[in-house]
Amino acid sequence: MSAAPGISIRDLTVAYGAFRAIEELTVDIPAGRIVGVVGPNGAGKTTLLNAITGFTHVSGGSIHLDEVAVQDWSVRRRVGAGVVRGFQTVRLMERESVMTNVLVGLERTRQPSVLAQLLGLPGQPRSRRRDLDAANAVIERLGLTGVVHQRVDALPFASRRLVEVARVLVSRPSVVLLDEPAAGLDQAGRHELAAVLTQVHAEDGCTMLVVEHDVDLVQRLCQHALALDSGHLISEGPPADVFATPEVQVAYFGRSLDAPA
Amino acid sequence: MTSTSLPVRATRPVAVTVTAAEEKPTRSRRQVLLVVAGLLAVIAVPALTFPAFWLFLAAQVAAYAIATLGLNVLYGRTGQLSLAQATFMGAGAYTGYVLGSRGHAPLVQLLAVCAVSLVAGAVVAVPTLRLSGLRLALVTLAVGELFAWVLVHTTDLTGGTQGANVEPLVVGPLDASIPLFAYLLGLLPALVATALVLHLDRTQLGRRMLLVRDSELAARATGVPIIQTKIVAFLLASVFAGVAGWLYGGINGFVSPPDFNLFASVYLLVAVVIGGARSVLGAWVGAAYIVVVPQVFTALGIPNLYALVGGALLALVALLAPDGLVGLARSAAARVRRTA
Repeated sequence: MSAAPGISIRDLTVAYGAFRAIEELTVDIPAGRIVGVVGPNGAGKTTLLNAITGFTHVSGGSIHLDEVAVQDWSVRRRVGAGVVRGFQTVRLMERESVMTNVLVGLERTRQPSVLAQLLGLPGQPRSRRRDLDAANAVIERLGLTGVVHQRVDALPFASRRLVEVARVLVSRPSVVLLDEPAAGLDQAGRHELAAVLTQVHAEDGCTMLVVEHDVDLVQRLCQHALALDSGHLISEGPPADVFATPEVQVAYFGRSLDAPA
Repeated sequence: MTSTSLPVRATRPVAVTVTAAEEKPTRSRRQVLLVVAGLLAVIAVPALTFPAFWLFLAAQVAAYAIATLGLNVLYGRTGQLSLAQATFMGAGAYTGYVLGSRGHAPLVQLLAVCAVSLVAGAVVAVPTLRLSGLRLALVTLAVGELFAWVLVHTTDLTGGTQGANVEPLVVGPLDASIPLFAYLLGLLPALVATALVLHLDRTQLGRRMLLVRDSELAARATGVPIIQTKIVAFLLASVFAGVAGWLYGGINGFVSPPDFNLFASVYLLVAVVIGGARSVLGAWVGAAYIVVVPQVFTALGIPNLYALVGGALLALVALLAPDGLVGLARSAAARVRRTA
């Protein structure tokens, strides 16, 4: 299996009672690409992300990372395998420093046992140095070096968003899933985020799935796009083509842009 | 993991040039010297200048600090509300009393205290921490009541409601019936406990606790073993409380059920919040509050005011200083530094 796996989804159904958030969805997320997931509210975008990461149970169908079926794995096992997500709402340790918030993201890399950590047993300094180096690297990439020791509740929203992205990226996951990472950012912030994510992707070569509303950002960032509506796939392909299909325009804008208003 | 699992990608050596920031801002040599000097002063001043009674109170503060440091871990860092911290103190105190009165050496007592606290903590934590929030508080409340009931109904063993006279702790040349030695016997273990809690800040275990406290969702997404982390925090708090109770008994020379009842647990929690729940210094402030303030009110002839003032102070701190007195002092100091 490659370092950045492709994700194959077959007949995936996620039902909450009688409501089917995703219904018999079959789609392939190509390995090592940045893939945008678009669609109106309630399309099932976040549900898809929850299903891939294990945050929601799956009513039917399968999810494969390359050849490995993961739909029955716990969240923790998937994280260990390199599937790491961010949240739509920034969830940080608000009263801790940027550095602490980023370091905690190294959980999935090899950590000493609880007892060894408590007693500060030998080998700790080396693993600690390794962790600090990894955190410093991602902090620098995201331009947070100047605030590395500041509490995150003192930072502007755009920086806090970046701290969460840093926590996701610090362990160099092979599958990165971001849920509306640009929500709440202004135009400049969005462009900066897109540039950072593009650069990270170029260097790390992960498979990246980005749920995003913003048409401009998806076109700027993503090499591939999936459009969902009411739990079904209505279009996929290069972002420009996806946004050009009439079904997406109807679902997204309420009408086809070619049709008279 | 099984053979079907995906390979975990180890963190590769980093090619980017990195400014190597440490986890905390590095202190200048002058700052370190100041902290060390301050610490030595805080330790030495009571030892050299306090009259016997206040030295004896300082010894109790040190013992209580171990219990409040336990709450710093459990409540301040991990966000779990326990109403049984004084109960675990009691378990430690009575274990020490029973063994001490049968002539067992302090080291045997200490090991037994740790074992009893660990087992008692595990019995409470392992089934309960799979549940959430308030249920832990309720279960710990019940455990506290059960313990009080046991004490009252085992008069032969524990002295029942009358309490029990505890043999003063004697370790080598240090005899706890002499105030200066009592102070040292309390202080040394308290400093070890302090170092251990400070060390948490440098470990992933410590960061796990903070993430569990602030967002269990983020903790899940990061791969943190949430229940294991809560249990470890609870066990640490239990052992800290047990050792604190054991020292308290050996220093005080007398233990009785009211020292370890529900009110005592609530006061411990209040003290930690007032001091600053996440702060190690706050735990010490809390311990000082719990030992000294009742004495002040007693000296003024109005002992009943203690509970009232405690409640009022808690409300004020909760409203005005979410990081406790220590947080308040820190932000004031930062403001002074900015304007200077």
